Amino acid sequence: MPDDPKKPGGIVRPGADVDLDAPQVARGQWLDGPPSIVGRTHRKVGAMDRMQGIARYTDDRKLPGMLHAKLKRSPHAHARIVAIDTSKALAMDGVFAVITGRDLPEPYGIIPWTKDETALCVEKALFVGDPVAAVAAVDEDTAIAACDAIEVTYEVLEPIFDPEEAIFRGDENKINPFARRGNLTKHVHLEFGDVDAAMAAADLVVEGEYYFEGTTHAAIEPHCALAHYGADGILTVWSATQVTHYLHRELARVLGVPANRIRVIQPPLGGAFGGKSEPFDLEFCVAKLAMITRRPVKLLYTREEVFYSHRGRHPMKMRYRTGFSKDGRILALDAKTILDGGAYASFGLVTTYYSGQLVCAPYEVATYRFDSSRAYTNKPACGPKRGHGSVQPRFAMEVQLDKAAEALGIDPIELRRRNHMGENRVTVNGFRVGSNGFLECLDAVERASNWKEKRAHLPYGRGVGVAGSTYISGTNYPIYPNDMPQAAVQICLDRSGRARVFSGANDIGQGSDTMLAVLVAEELGLRLEDVRVLSADTDLCPVDLGAYSSRVTLMVGNACLQAARRLRRKVQTSVAKRWEIPRRRVTLAGGEALDLEDPTRRVPMAEAIAWAEADHGLLGEVGSYNTPKDRHGDYRGGTIGASPAYSFTAHVAEVAVDPETGIVTVETIWVAHDCGTCLSRRVVEGQMEGSAYMGFGEAIMEQHRVDPAHGGVHAGPSLLDYRIPTTLDTPRIEAHVVEAPDPNGPYGAKEAGEGPLHPSIPAIANAIYDAVGVRMDAMPFSPPRVLEALEARRAAEAADAVPPWKADRRGEG
Amino acid sequence: MTDAPPPTPGPARRLPVLSEPPRAPAPAHVVVRLRVNGRPVVTAVPAHHTLLELLRETLDLTGSKQGCDKGDCGACTVQVDGVPRLACLTLAVMAEGCDVRTVEGLADGFDGAHPLQDAFDRYDAAQCGFCTPGILMAAEALLRAAGRPVTHEEVREALAGNLCRCTGYTKILDAVVDASRALYPGTMPGAAQEGSGTDAG
Amino acid sequence: MLRLPTFEVVQPTALEAALEALAEPDAVAVAGGTDLLPNLKHRLAYPRRLVSLARVEGLARAPEVEADGTLVLRAGATLARVAADRRVRTIAPSLAEAAGRVASPLIRNMATIGGNVNLDTRCRYVNQTAFWRSAIGGCLKSEGQVCHVVPKGRNCVAALSSDTVPVLLSLDARLVQRAAGGRRREIDVASYFHADGTAHLLREPGEITWEIRIPPAVQPRRTAYVKWSVRGSIDFPLVSVALRADLEEDRDDAPVVGWRVVAGVLGSKPRVVKVPPAATGAPLADPAVAEAVAEAVHRQCKPLENVPYEAAYRRKLARVLVRRAVARLGGRDTAR
Ligand SMILES: Cc1cc2nc3c(=O)[nH]c(=O)nc-3n(C[C@H](O)[C@H](O)[C@H](O)COP(=O)(O)OP(=O)(O)OC[C@H]3O[C@@H](n4cnc5c(N)ncnc54)[C@H](O)[C@@H]3O)c2cc1C
Ligand code: SF4
Ligand code: FES
Ligand code: FES
Repeated sequence: MPDDPKKPGGIVRPGADVDLDAPQVARGQWLDGPPSIVGRTHRKVGAMDRMQGIARYTDDRKLPGMLHAKLKRSPHAHARIVAIDTSKALAMDGVFAVITGRDLPEPYGIIPWTKDETALCVEKALFVGDPVAAVAAVDEDTAIAACDAIEVTYEVLEPIFDPEEAIFRGDENKINPFARRGNLTKHVHLEFGDVDAAMAAADLVVEGEYYFEGTTHAAIEPHCALAHYGADGILTVWSATQVTHYLHRELARVLGVPANRIRVIQPPLGGAFGGKSEPFDLEFCVAKLAMITRRPVKLLYTREEVFYSHRGRHPMKMRYRTGFSKDGRILALDAKTILDGGAYASFGLVTTYYSGQLVCAPYEVATYRFDSSRAYTNKPACGPKRGHGSVQPRFAMEVQLDKAAEALGIDPIELRRRNHMGENRVTVNGFRVGSNGFLECLDAVERASNWKEKRAHLPYGRGVGVAGSTYISGTNYPIYPNDMPQAAVQICLDRSGRARVFSGANDIGQGSDTMLAVLVAEELGLRLEDVRVLSADTDLCPVDLGAYSSRVTLMVGNACLQAARRLRRKVQTSVAKRWEIPRRRVTLAGGEALDLEDPTRRVPMAEAIAWAEADHGLLGEVGSYNTPKDRHGDYRGGTIGASPAYSFTAHVAEVAVDPETGIVTVETIWVAHDCGTCLSRRVVEGQMEGSAYMGFGEAIMEQHRVDPAHGGVHAGPSLLDYRIPTTLDTPRIEAHVVEAPDPNGPYGAKEAGEGPLHPSIPAIANAIYDAVGVRMDAMPFSPPRVLEALEARRAAEAADAVPPWKADRRGEG
Repeated sequence: MTDAPPPTPGPARRLPVLSEPPRAPAPAHVVVRLRVNGRPVVTAVPAHHTLLELLRETLDLTGSKQGCDKGDCGACTVQVDGVPRLACLTLAVMAEGCDVRTVEGLADGFDGAHPLQDAFDRYDAAQCGFCTPGILMAAEALLRAAGRPVTHEEVREALAGNLCRCTGYTKILDAVVDASRALYPGTMPGAAQEGSGTDAG
Repeated sequence: MLRLPTFEVVQPTALEAALEALAEPDAVAVAGGTDLLPNLKHRLAYPRRLVSLARVEGLARAPEVEADGTLVLRAGATLARVAADRRVRTIAPSLAEAAGRVASPLIRNMATIGGNVNLDTRCRYVNQTAFWRSAIGGCLKSEGQVCHVVPKGRNCVAALSSDTVPVLLSLDARLVQRAAGGRRREIDVASYFHADGTAHLLREPGEITWEIRIPPAVQPRRTAYVKWSVRGSIDFPLVSVALRADLEEDRDDAPVVGWRVVAGVLGSKPRVVKVPPAATGAPLADPAVAEAVAEAVHRQCKPLENVPYEAAYRRKLARVLVRRAVARLGGRDTAR
């Protein structure tokens, strides 16, 4: 049996320079200061290990004596658990332990006000796939056989799949036993200004009903967790999670083990997109089973189980009324939204707010009202997916704008420009927006797509569409209220000339470790490879809240910068002392400390650090970050959606619609995104491209549904039936980075991981309209739906109810 | 194990459809001899284990990933006798006598990294990196078969069985094209180039 | 992971040994495994023994053309090979096309043409995990007693989902079947299928497909394969129609003298579409010809909700795609 052929230490990284693009600056030749690595192209921290198969993801880890766990799941969408007989399973050879809901009865939930799920169902199963028992056995085959041997007696209850029906019948058929009010998870009604009066005064009122089908994350790595309960009573859990800290807290609560006896580690993660941002059944079960058996226990979801965990985008029914002035200004917006939440609340309380709170930028909206209700239904629970809660309303908002542009005879980009809110403004719902590069984003996509020549001028069947959006760079408040910092980082320098950065943040593939390394390298003049980032281990790292709501770059980046600056000062002081010059003349760059006025005077960083260590003792600094608290209005819910900085995005999509078949081919997406200062170019582009891709998939083909006609089974819990785009489907995606640095961001940086997704869907919808004159207000824009719309239009054209679309441009293609 | 009669008639039932899984006898282990990344391996595996399990569990070569375990995603792509295949749909015992190459062996013979790995690193073509080992193995086969720089279109075709959820494929396509040029400097590309949308490459 | 049930595997190199092994009860042949293994992982069967055909001598031999022009494919040839083979591409371009559209490039490297011919039927209610099926109580093809596609039906209508079968049928291909004891028979592809999704192959016990024989064209012809699936790769066909137009002369604009049109992904067997006389006598480029063929397909092919996509839409789509494919055969490139 061969051993691992590659040891991490043995890897030679050819050409592993800090900067791959810019020519090396020759010694003593700066014109305006030392070269900066910010905004360049970098090799990502840890990427080569992943590409060589060395990095150990959670399922790649094995411990001596490890057992394998499996979950027994409910085949009913709604059923009372009458009895569970585990005796046959327990009697099987190779079975070490079986647990049921009664072993872990403590309810949990990522939002402290909606603790409404248990690791395993206690009283009732709430959707097909809800887990009711867990087994630990010598291997997976045995664990599966043992699950089959568990006998569960159910009293089958009537399931409800329609959110409106669920709310209506909440008293008589309550789904989630922990719910406070029937089947309503949350209802939000907020009004800013006199919407009715403004609507009445509007020159144009656009009304639309939109339907957003649910979609899921489909990260390629299935969820996995591994637990070890040491002889010292310390519980260690490795999990493919994006929120180590919340998992840590909830493990302590549910298991009744003090948090200081638990260590949570996030190994390299194979994608998450929000799908791994809360604690899941598997983590509690492996922990409990490890404690019972005193053996390490691992549980890996099958792909099917990933679909049951879900927490994907909420299906939303949205009714929008938007009032405009003749010249296209948004005078009033009135939105009513029903969210289909599935069986558990998850982040639903926040989602319900987000479904309304995040549409009041980048446009000036004079008056605004929204009413959102989230229902419990007997389906896998919905939660946060990339662009949490705001992708659906953005679809409605941007299609409304397109309809208005047409009605008013204004170019859709021009209409958006006219409504541009500008920088340093407060939105109608009270959020303070700082830097704002939205206009540049519009310019960039307009230019790159050749918009002026294409819009309305392409032949029948081809079209372009535009959409814009904004997104938060972190939420102003943590999920559980507390006064501690929102982010903290610890950095140590040692005499080898290396910085070690300890951060609780989770690199989920989005490149946050690289971002931290870039900041530290820049601030301390180190080469990128001299910075080690140790992240997402609750024993080694300070608490961080995790990778969600695009908070990492801004919050953790700021904390990191603070610690790095403190260290920089110490090193500068020590060098200045040796050289007998003022501290300000010392700079740190390119692995050296230098005299700014005489760049030939230089000393390697390792030596400079040694000097500093001699002067100050061990070099370690902490930095922390808290959000400014003046970013939002003073009303209930006014903090949800508040962020230190907002990113902006514009897309133009070009599509070809086959008028006979309804098949939509998205050919190119131009995406321009204002990420503040760009810290690492290809990382930012990669986030933009990945976002546009994901939105495209949702727009055209993805559908996460259950089948009400068959007891609510999932309509196809596999990557064959839940189709995500392949290389042959994916359009050309062109990323244009726009930089409007924000004073609140580290070096001015804002988010780039979620914002760029938002306009994908409406830009495609609007492009379909430009191509063939049909409005796609329900998603996805699948061929049958598009064809149906086309047939309706053709019938209307034949009846002279509407003029033929692009009559002069038919038959040109 | 014909303990359950077929529930429906038919001229020739192909597979017995049982309402109850039979209590199968404990699986016997079978000795398998193969080469993995150039080295001979002799090991014993249960007959119902896949090559992916052999690699990941028995040999602890965890570079090859599992994303669906039934052919839908490509994360488990390895090369068997030089041809990219899905390890999750290959029985371990059927790799007997074969030459299996995994991502762990990709850099063999190169200075630390295969040009594809280097290009992926430079382009940030691996975000979470979970699809990457499979993509690299499929891409390497393409480049080896082409023996010349490849086009974006060719890469799209060759990688059409490998799903990536992070990148939108853009950087991956760029990186593979770039690597093909690094591998075959001075050779003419096969056809007209498709711009991929970034200024890179 | 999705576990396989336990079984033993034999890997004979001699055909006779393989056939003998297959003669045992509960033995199942496995070639590329890309259909069988997912089905076993889904616990659709529990065979005691898998007989691998991968090493059987001669089974994977390259395609050949016999003296009379018959194109002979051995069952073990991979789809990648069939798609790329020069002889196949010239003699049976629609077959190369169909083989090249199966699944994904990775799967085509493993999958065999024999496996594709013998591919099990598929259905949204059956190609799921055992747990999933338990939630709907199974069906005729699995653990249950009802059909969810045709709830009153007593017959399983799971879809024939092979890309190559309609094409092979359109080319009048014959299968050479071998069984233990030197038994050998030849059967038309047309006669090999049967309208029962739980047992859609008229295959005798222990028998394997050894060869696929495509007779030489008696008439100059043009062929095409129409496949539609949501994605450009990986997906099984949702619309699948093989077209063969026999021409009076070997010119694109020669009059059509006969048609062979075969559709898949309807029920459990391929459907041979009866093409009306209106589709002959004129060249392929004549829009009336394309329309007549498309109309016939539309009238005679009624997709079911057995595969996961709207049946009514697939029916409409088949008509459009067939019409275009005929026009393209006639040299008219109609994007729409
Ligand atoms: C993700 C995915 C996508 C797919 N997409 C498609 C698609 O688009 N189109 C399509 O047609 N198929 C598709 N398939 C199914 C499958 O890959 C192909 O049909 C393939 O050709 C099957 O060949 P195989 O050699 O792998 O068959 P196996 O899995 O080895 O065998 C299939 C069946 O045929 C029997 N068999 C095999 N060889 C013989 C023989 N010589 N004689 C008699 N019986 C034999 C086996 O006993 C088994 O019952 C897909 C599969 C997957 C996993
Ligand atoms: S067609 Fe009916 S019986 Fe056949 S697999 Fe589908 S649901 Fe089952
Ligand atoms: S794990 Fe093999 S294809 Fe997905
Ligand atoms: S890089 Fe994450 S799936 Fe491809």
